[in-house]
Amino acid sequence: MGKLEGSNEVSVLPDKVFEGVPKAPYGLLEALRRVQAVYGYLPPEGIRRAAEYVGVPFAQAYGVATFYHQYSLEPIGKYRILVCMGTACHLRGNSLNIEFLRTLLGLKPGRKTTEDKMFSVEEARCFGCCGLAPVVVVQKPDGGNEIVGRANPRTLRALVERYRRQERGGAK
Amino acid sequence: MISVVKVKIDGKVVEVEPGTTVLEAAEKAGIEIPRLCVVPGLYEGSSCRLCLVKTPAGRLFPSCNYRVYRDEEFLASTPDLWEMRRVNFELLLKFHRIECWACERKSSCSLVELSKELLVDGIPVCSECPLPPNECLLLKGELCLGMIAQSGCNAECLVSGGECWGCRGPITREDILERAFTHYRELGFDVKEVIGKAEIYWNSAPGFATVKKVAERVAGRG
Amino acid sequence: MNWTLLDRCCEKCTHSPEKPCPDYIECRLSGPLCHDDERCREMRRQRLEELRYGEKGAKIKVPMASCTLATGAEAVYHAVEDAVKNMGLEATITISGCHGLDFIDPWLELSAKGMPTAIYANVKPSDVPRILEEYFVKRDVSRAFALKERVGAASGEDKVPLLGELGFWAKQYKWVSRNCGVVNPESLEEYVASGGYRGLSRAFKLGPEATIEEILKSGLRGRGGAGFPTGMKWRITRQQKATPKYVIANADEGDPGAFMNRLLAESDPFRIIEGLTIAGYAIGANQGYIFVRAEKPLMAKRLQKAVEEARRCGLLGKNILGSGFDFDIEVILSAGAFVCGEETAMIAAIEGKRAWPRQRPPYPAEKGLWGKPTAINNVETLAHAATIMAEGAEKFAAIGTEKTKGTKMFCVTGAVKRVGAYEVPIGTSIRVLVEELAGGAPEGVKVKAVQIGGPSGGCIPANLLDLPLDYETLQGAGAIMGSGGIVVIGHENCMVDVAKFFLTFTSAESCGKCIPCRVGLRVMWSILDKITKGEGTEEDLQVLRQVAETVRSASLCALGGTAPNPVLSTLRYFMDEYAAHIREKLCPALVCSALIKYRIDEEKCIACGQCAMNCPASAISKIESGKYRIDESLCIKCGVCYTVCPVKAVYKVTGARAG
Repeated sequence: MGKLEGSNEVSVLPDKVFEGVPKAPYGLLEALRRVQAVYGYLPPEGIRRAAEYVGVPFAQAYGVATFYHQYSLEPIGKYRILVCMGTACHLRGNSLNIEFLRTLLGLKPGRKTTEDKMFSVEEARCFGCCGLAPVVVVQKPDGGNEIVGRANPRTLRALVERYRRQERGGAK
Repeated sequence: MISVVKVKIDGKVVEVEPGTTVLEAAEKAGIEIPRLCVVPGLYEGSSCRLCLVKTPAGRLFPSCNYRVYRDEEFLASTPDLWEMRRVNFELLLKFHRIECWACERKSSCSLVELSKELLVDGIPVCSECPLPPNECLLLKGELCLGMIAQSGCNAECLVSGGECWGCRGPITREDILERAFTHYRELGFDVKEVIGKAEIYWNSAPGFATVKKVAERVAGRG
Repeated sequence: MNWTLLDRCCEKCTHSPEKPCPDYIECRLSGPLCHDDERCREMRRQRLEELRYGEKGAKIKVPMASCTLATGAEAVYHAVEDAVKNMGLEATITISGCHGLDFIDPWLELSAKGMPTAIYANVKPSDVPRILEEYFVKRDVSRAFALKERVGAASGEDKVPLLGELGFWAKQYKWVSRNCGVVNPESLEEYVASGGYRGLSRAFKLGPEATIEEILKSGLRGRGGAGFPTGMKWRITRQQKATPKYVIANADEGDPGAFMNRLLAESDPFRIIEGLTIAGYAIGANQGYIFVRAEKPLMAKRLQKAVEEARRCGLLGKNILGSGFDFDIEVILSAGAFVCGEETAMIAAIEGKRAWPRQRPPYPAEKGLWGKPTAINNVETLAHAATIMAEGAEKFAAIGTEKTKGTKMFCVTGAVKRVGAYEVPIGTSIRVLVEELAGGAPEGVKVKAVQIGGPSGGCIPANLLDLPLDYETLQGAGAIMGSGGIVVIGHENCMVDVAKFFLTFTSAESCGKCIPCRVGLRVMWSILDKITKGEGTEEDLQVLRQVAETVRSASLCALGGTAPNPVLSTLRYFMDEYAAHIREKLCPALVCSALIKYRIDEEKCIACGQCAMNCPASAISKIESGKYRIDESLCIKCGVCYTVCPVKAVYKVTGARAG
């Protein structure tokens, strides 16, 4: 559960964002997903808008937003590194991999996003690709996913450095 | 459409309307089943798991929530059920912020009642003290050991408005002790004074070492 | 020609969206039924041939499922497109799901008229031109992984094994997964051509009551883990008077290490949709939902596409196949919570609330979604139902054991050579699955235990591998069949760590509604954490058992109720490891960080500095001799030095030797 870090620049989302979402309580999960797709996380105003759209009290929407794993109430990094914590992946070393990543990126306990907001490291539930254990998935800013199979600290360090280089290269 | 069902609880039979919960039937039969979370009209219960009853076949159901529509039998007071309730309640207390000396609800607290009913230790004497928080003896400069002593002694000291000497033994949960010693210091008591008084009854109590350890830690904070 | 099997063959066909023909499905393959015309029969024959070999007589099949995509199938697909263009090949490129043999991902299947269908394994994009040339131009299959049949026309045919001869294929009984890796999951036509929708058609002809009878006769039990007789669930829901009724397909496969449902939904989604439609018909529900796990988006996409295709063809919507039965399906994506796999929690999630389970009774069959009668079935169960209705209950009931009929899909992962999904008859021994199908442990690894049933299951030690896979026997041994995920644990894994791992999972996934699960699992976890840090005591084990018992019996739902199982089963079979952690403060498997130290063997060290360069904690530095040493106070035990050292000079110690 994160604390509500609001952003003052959050504007009211137009109805277009919620196209296809039923205006009924059972549309809440999808409505929140749409808000998160816009901001990359759920600011309080976004939760309020979703609640208003489907017609439930803010408290109910907040309860749902804080319950499910996919929703993040704090901004997540540009590159979201998801480390699968499935059984096969754990047995093949992902618990060590995640510690390695957190230390490499300087993440203090309890924090999941780097200072420069470039990377987030999160535990993910099983992706179902156990043949490639241990699996790490990077959600990229363009919406694509990079799946790293048989991940180990060496390949993970190379991955992080590659994205850093790309970012620096793009900034020029 | 039947108008009455017979519910047998712990051998006692009562007749109730169909749709009545087992908990309500038990009340009618004069059998007390502990419960915490059912609030009629607001919350359906089945969360605290204290009210669990057993069918003769061994299946468990929360009595607050199970409605009878035909003749049924339940056991509500077997030793294993009480054991389960005790462990369950201890789990609940584990993460409860016990600070009875400052708590508004101390004179009407269901956790205190349940701890007595389930014979669970660990709640300080303050929970039984008839004085409200703003009339606490400590505020008058009288050294009462209630915050760090186990409740349940049923002694006269409290009833007559006197201070607690801790005869039933120390609290050993460190978070409670930390809060208590911090509070003693805030009120101007010297931690050494408190330990000195506590030693009278606790010098050979096994938990005393923990009490002294936490006291030192809090004192060391300067 | 653009004609597909799903279209009318000629003007004489009486089928139309306004007036659907009840024999529509049978007629696709064995028609025309309402009129006699050799031309129409020939159209069907030709189309089936086209589906088999592609319109140009040559077909290249690229599997596009999560497992193959993760190994680079998309790049292979592009390489195939390029190669076909560059070589000017007259071949159709198509996609399929995955047949479950993950260890050969990504694979390619090539077929052509007059050639044996050949499967190529572990294909890299750079291999593609060579493979296509060998098969289509040189007509040489000698480098294929397996052939589906022999025709004697290609060179090297006798050198390549037949798929049906290979143990890990032959020992399977592909009942419900028969189409996986075979058909294009986005093509309703291919599904129908393979025999799909005969089940629904037959159900309509039998009527709802007789359909339920058929399912009861087959002995089908829920494949999601609870094993409740499906026919009974449908009958009870049908008997309820309240309306409207609902059916829900549980595609929230949450067990880590299980991907049977994902595989099925990505490879043969129409079977699940057919099954759900049959369920709706049997129960009297006009609306179905498929609830899909958030972490498996391709699964949701394929199911959604299949629903849209089925609607387009009139197999969903009003008056399906002229039966008078209306039915539609909505695919709903979860937002990430393991507890959603629990029926009543799933209902809450669909209703747009926190996924809190509800006390039962009343059961969902009586009061489910929005308080109405609802039947929830696992997707594998529904796929079985569709197949049973098509093939007949007797065929299904002829396999399996006395108490449980039929087959089940299992996923074997962990310390095995051939990670994959395998379908076998119920009652097959664990050994057959682990050793014969999955190939047993890789070189240098010994199997210590097998974890069955995910976080609700238990660990079975290696010496009990001959136990059969059925609900009752496994329960007696302290495990459960669960959804079918089997994780093989090697000697390099610590059983106390495994127990703690599962508790980390279940305590994090606990919904928080009831005390035993919410608090009890955390307490159990902290005791196991103490033990893995070498701070555990004998009293801790007593408390652990006591709390485990309360969590097991007093929890509101099966998440809490089964969460103690991994702990209880490891205590039962692996007490020696617990004892080592508690009494001797060591970890025999060299896993628990606090009890092990990483050291560099200075004699082996070649001073390359790789370890120091890669260490994220800067814990390794050069010493006077020029060799490298690990500063144990800074080491975070991540193991990168262990991985990068070219001469294996890094080793682990535990216990007294760790000093």
